[in-house]
Amino acid sequence: MKSIRTYLLLALIAIITLVTFLSLLQGYQASIAKAQQLFDDRLQNMAAMIANANQDKNPHNVGTEKLSSTVFFQILTNDFLILASSNNATTPLLSTDNDGVIFGFKDINLNGYRWRVFILKDEHLNRWIITGERSDIRYILAENVVTASIIPIVLAIPFAAFIIWIAIGFGLKPLRELTSQLNNKQADDLSPILMANTPDELTSLLTSTNALLQRLNDAFVREQQFSADAAHELRTPISILKIQLHNLQNNEKISEAVLQPLANGIERMGLVIEQILSLYRHSPEQLLMKQSGIDLSAIVQSVIAKYYDQIAMKQQKISLIDDEVCLIKGNQFALETLLQNLISNANKYTPEHGEIQITLNDTTTGVRLIVEDSGPGIPKEQYERVFERFYRVNGDRHDSGILGCGLGLAIAKHIANLHKAKISLHTSTQLGGLKVVTDFPKR
Amino acid sequence: MKVLLIEDDVTLAQALMQSLKNEGFVVNHLTHGHHAIASIKTELPDSVILDLGLPDIDGTEVLKLIRKESADLPVLVLTARTSLNDKIKGLDLGADDYLAKPFEVAELMARLRVFERRASSLKHSGLRIGDVTIDSTSHQVSVTGNNIDFSRREFMLLKTLMENAGRVQTRDSLESKLYSWGEEVASNTIEVHIHHLRKKLPDNFIQTLRGIGYIVKPI
Repeated sequence: MKSIRTYLLLALIAIITLVTFLSLLQGYQASIAKAQQLFDDRLQNMAAMIANANQDKNPHNVGTEKLSSTVFFQILTNDFLILASSNNATTPLLSTDNDGVIFGFKDINLNGYRWRVFILKDEHLNRWIITGERSDIRYILAENVVTASIIPIVLAIPFAAFIIWIAIGFGLKPLRELTSQLNNKQADDLSPILMANTPDELTSLLTSTNALLQRLNDAFVREQQFSADAAHELRTPISILKIQLHNLQNNEKISEAVLQPLANGIERMGLVIEQILSLYRHSPEQLLMKQSGIDLSAIVQSVIAKYYDQIAMKQQKISLIDDEVCLIKGNQFALETLLQNLISNANKYTPEHGEIQITLNDTTTGVRLIVEDSGPGIPKEQYERVFERFYRVNGDRHDSGILGCGLGLAIAKHIANLHKAKISLHTSTQLGGLKVVTDFPKR
Repeated sequence: MKVLLIEDDVTLAQALMQSLKNEGFVVNHLTHGHHAIASIKTELPDSVILDLGLPDIDGTEVLKLIRKESADLPVLVLTARTSLNDKIKGLDLGADDYLAKPFEVAELMARLRVFERRASSLKHSGLRIGDVTIDSTSHQVSVTGNNIDFSRREFMLLKTLMENAGRVQTRDSLESKLYSWGEEVASNTIEVHIHHLRKKLPDNFIQTLRGIGYIVKPI
C-alpha cells in the first residue's frame, strides 16, 4: 500500500460504484415492472372507456379512427365481426379458432410488431373490446424514464471521489503533522513530540514514539556519562604506570630488556583506551552540536607541533604545503583526532630519516587534505580492510613491530564520514609510501 | 625550581614527585584545593602543577584563586578530561599550559623547563641556549659573546622561540603574537623576520618545519 489516501479513495469509490450499480440494477428492474404495470392499467382503462363511450351494435366506423401507429383498438361483436376499430387494426383479432376466449392481457403479433393487448368482454352489450399498444415502444418509454433518474447518480461518482479525496486528506492531517515533526527533528533533538489535537488513533503511536525518544535520550546521556567516567577512571592509572615506568628507567639496576616490553604494554594499553574512547566520543549527535567554521591549516600546524617530539625522535622530515585559507565546517576536536591519527600513522610506519608531507588544497569543490609518507605503504588489496576496526596489516604478527591497535584508520574514517568527507588510500608518487586523501565538501 | 603539585590521586602524585625530584625539581604535594591556596598565600612556589579533579573544590576554581594571589605564577593544568571546551576554559582562566592524562613524563618536564626559562628571562633578564644569550631588559642578544643588534620584532620572535625551546611554535601562534604586538601582518611576515634572524644567529639555531612553524632545540 503506497498511500493510505489513494488506497482509501480507490476502495471507497469501488465500494460506492458497486453498491450504486447493484441498487440501480434492482431499481431499474423494479421501475420497469412498475412502468409496465402503469401501462397495463392505462390499456385496461382505455378499454373500459371505449366500452362506455361506444354503444354501437352494428358495424360502422371500421378503420376510420386514425390513431398513432403505436396503439389500436377494436370492438368486435360476439361473433367476432368488427363493430369499430382504429385504422391500423381492420381485421378481427379474435375468431372462433381461438381456443376459448381469453379475457385480460395478452401478447400478440400484428403488422410485424409485438403488441400488448387487453381484451374486455362487454357483457352488457355482448361484444368484445380490444385495446393494444406496441411492446417495444412501451419498453423504450419505460427505459427513458428510468435512465433519466439513473444518469445523475452515475455522474455523481467522480464528484464524490473528489470530495472523498479532500475529506481523507483532512482526516490524515494529524498523521502528516506527526510525520513532518519527526522529519524536522535535529539529530540531537530528543525532546518529546507535542501535538495540539491528537486523534484517538494516533494517541498510542505518539505515546510510544515519545517513550522511545525518552529512552534514546536516557541511553545517550548514559553513554556520554560512561565515556566521560571511563576516560577519567582509566587515564589516571595509566598515567601512574607511565610515570612509574619513567622512574624505573632511571634505575640502573633494572635492565632495558625488562623495561622495554613493559613500556610497550603500557603504551599499547593507553593507545587502545584512547582510541576506543574517541570512537565513542565522536557520536553524530555531539558533532552536530559543536560545528563551526574551521581553518584546517591551523589544526594541522597545532597537531604537528604537539606531536613533534615523536617525529623528531625518528628524525623524520615533516612539511605542510597549504593554500592561504582552508576553511571547512566541522568540529575542531574531532578534526584534531582525525589528523592526530593520520599523522601518528605516518610517523609510526615511516622509517627513521623518512619524510612526511601534508598538503592542503582549497578547490572549488571543497578542501582536499593529503597525508603522504615515505614508508612501506599498504598493499592495494588491503585498502578496504584497514578501515575495519581492530584490523592491522599482517594481523597480530605485524612485522614492523610497531605499537598499534588497528583503530586509527577506523576512527579517521568515522570522523571523515561525520563531516561528509571522503577518505581514500593511494600510493604516493612523490614519496613512495602511503597517501591518504581526505576530501571535505565545500562549506 | 620549586614546584607545587596539587593532585588528589596519591599514587600518581608520589610517582610524579619521584620523577620531578629525579629531574632536580623541589616538589611540595597537596591533595586539596583549599590547602593549596593557603600554601600559595604563605609561600609562593615557582610553578604549579594543578589537577582539575579535586575532592574539595573544582580545579578551575583553584585556578581563579591562584590568579588572584599572583598574576604571573606559571600554572600547568593536568586533566583526564580531554574535550576541547575544557582546554579553552582552562587557558581562559589563566592556565599557562595544559596537559592531558595520560601524558609523557618527558613532555611534562619540557613544559616545566619552558616555565623555568620564562621565569629566568623575567627575573634575571637572561636566557641562554647554546651560544646565544638574550637579555630581556636591555633587549640585547649576544652570540658567542659578541653583542648583535636586533629589531624589536626580531627580538620578541627570538625570545618566544628560546623560551619555548624544544616545542614547535606554529606559524599561526607566532602570527597571533605579532598581532598582539600591534604590528601589521603580511602573509610572509614571519618568514621575513626569521630570514633576518638566521643571518645573525649560528647555523641551524632556528629550525624550520616547512609550512608548520619553527623550533629552537634546547641544548
